[in-house]
Amino acid sequence: MNIKGAGRGVWTWLDDRLGIQAVMDFLKHKPIPQNRHTPWMYTGSLAMMFFGLQVVTGIMLAFYYRPTLEEANKSVGEIMTKVPLGWIIRSVHSWSATFMIAVVFIHCLAIWILKSYRKPREMTWMTGVLLLVFTLAFGFTGYLLPWDSLSLAATKVGTDIPRSIPVIGAWGTKFLRGGEDITGDTLSRFFTFHVCVLPLCLLAALALHIYLIQKLGMSLPQGADEEAEARRSLPFWPNFVYREALLWLVLIGVVVTLAVFLPPTLGKAADLMAPAPAGIKPEWYFLFLFQTLKLFPAHILFVTGDTVAVLAIFLAVALFFFLPLIDKPAGRKGKVITVLAFLLVVYAVAMSVWSLQTPSKPEADRIIGAPQNIRETTGIFVFLGAIWLSMAVLIYLLSLKIRETDRLLGTGYFSSDKK
Amino acid sequence: MKLKHSLFTRRQFLNGLLGGWLGGLAALFLYPVLRFIFPPEREPEQVLLPLADFGGLEPGAMKNFAWGSKPGLLKRTAGGDFIAFVGVCTHLDCNVAYLPDQKKFYCACHEGWYDENGINIAGPPPKPLRRLAVSTEGENLVIKPEAAA
Repeated sequence: MNIKGAGRGVWTWLDDRLGIQAVMDFLKHKPIPQNRHTPWMYTGSLAMMFFGLQVVTGIMLAFYYRPTLEEANKSVGEIMTKVPLGWIIRSVHSWSATFMIAVVFIHCLAIWILKSYRKPREMTWMTGVLLLVFTLAFGFTGYLLPWDSLSLAATKVGTDIPRSIPVIGAWGTKFLRGGEDITGDTLSRFFTFHVCVLPLCLLAALALHIYLIQKLGMSLPQGADEEAEARRSLPFWPNFVYREALLWLVLIGVVVTLAVFLPPTLGKAADLMAPAPAGIKPEWYFLFLFQTLKLFPAHILFVTGDTVAVLAIFLAVALFFFLPLIDKPAGRKGKVITVLAFLLVVYAVAMSVWSLQTPSKPEADRIIGAPQNIRETTGIFVFLGAIWLSMAVLIYLLSLKIRETDRLLGTGYFSSDKK
Repeated sequence: MKLKHSLFTRRQFLNGLLGGWLGGLAALFLYPVLRFIFPPEREPEQVLLPLADFGGLEPGAMKNFAWGSKPGLLKRTAGGDFIAFVGVCTHLDCNVAYLPDQKKFYCACHEGWYDENGINIAGPPPKPLRRLAVSTEGENLVIKPEAAA
């Protein structure tokens, strides 16, 4: 029996038990609409790709990271200076996090503006909002783990925010910190959230999200001609997957390259008694919230400004979550809600830019990841060259495949009546 | 010999090339990952033991020191020389104990025995205990891997 025969034998054996063919048939017939909104449809799978990258690099970092008060900062330092290529792995984890959050934001805004959340996709949107919340929670909990003065201050502020909520707030802060103050217990807790609780939550929400997308199909633009769209659409497998693969490859290359040239640094171990560093700022995705909190005065009428601000933020998140129930197709609120999305972007960008006006003063002698010797430097450059070169070839091969599969689609090769 | 027709179609060739190239790229990424996961072994180049602490060892007596993350055993022979071992059984890596009354090394995991010179004499150990080189430099005993001495 030749290799091909053996391969087919294994496939049949697996298919008899797992029913893979049914899934493949479904994916071959899942139409991806082709119109001017199609580019946004790549953002969801991109977010998933970055999440996958986070899982892989995160597991690798956890091999060497030690989540205790004495060892956390030291072990991250060792990852950056002693473990072979550890600084790049940490850098990829950090860059991929940034990209994941950015892509999730874009994905979310695109769905909002295209109104893809309308009936029957309300729950797809709601699970999506959960995914957004979990993604930001990943960012927030992961930020503490290197345990330098910046991460300590950010966590102090972040975990103090729930306290402003009347009645249950203090309890929330205590839950997050594992006590009244930030201690080693907070670190253990955040580590557990980051590597155990949040991945489970995110995967559960993701499973539901993806199931709903498969069940309901891709949404069409408002008022689209359904028949024309169906004629123009591409099958998910293989035509769309080849296009996605192309994008994934390029972005993996971009993240790795950025990670090599712009690695994150590490400050000295956090001192629980030291004052907050001057000009401190959170990561870019929390800047607009950070600046918003700064704007509120100490007191508004009879309550503190914080309470009002935090309640406003919670109200906004709740409205965001229930957006599909507010914006019904029959209602006249549609345009207003679309404009709101644009206004939110303008607001967030303006606030972020404003908050960047205060210069932050990074402390001296932070650990900076870098190749340890000329051999490692050479190796890294050879590696980058090799991946970009093979990437170029792959892009060419993929474009050939895209042309081929599109031609086959045009000739009706994939149509359902053909076996 | 020239074949009249090609052995595979253009599509098969393209698929094979694409799959192979993707596999190659994946392998390329696997290399740094493996480098990260398997850090080079860090055995100490040398360990310094102050003579003030270890010089007073009685002939025939034994004292522990840390050889990196493994136990090291420093022994003074009846002739007054120092010899040193890595105190790890050559069978399955358990730490061995020195039994002074019997003048033997004993590994409790699988009943392995070594004589006072670290030679395997009974039980499963296949090789003698690993010897380390000892020399004296000023105020210190210098322990090095045997080959490097």
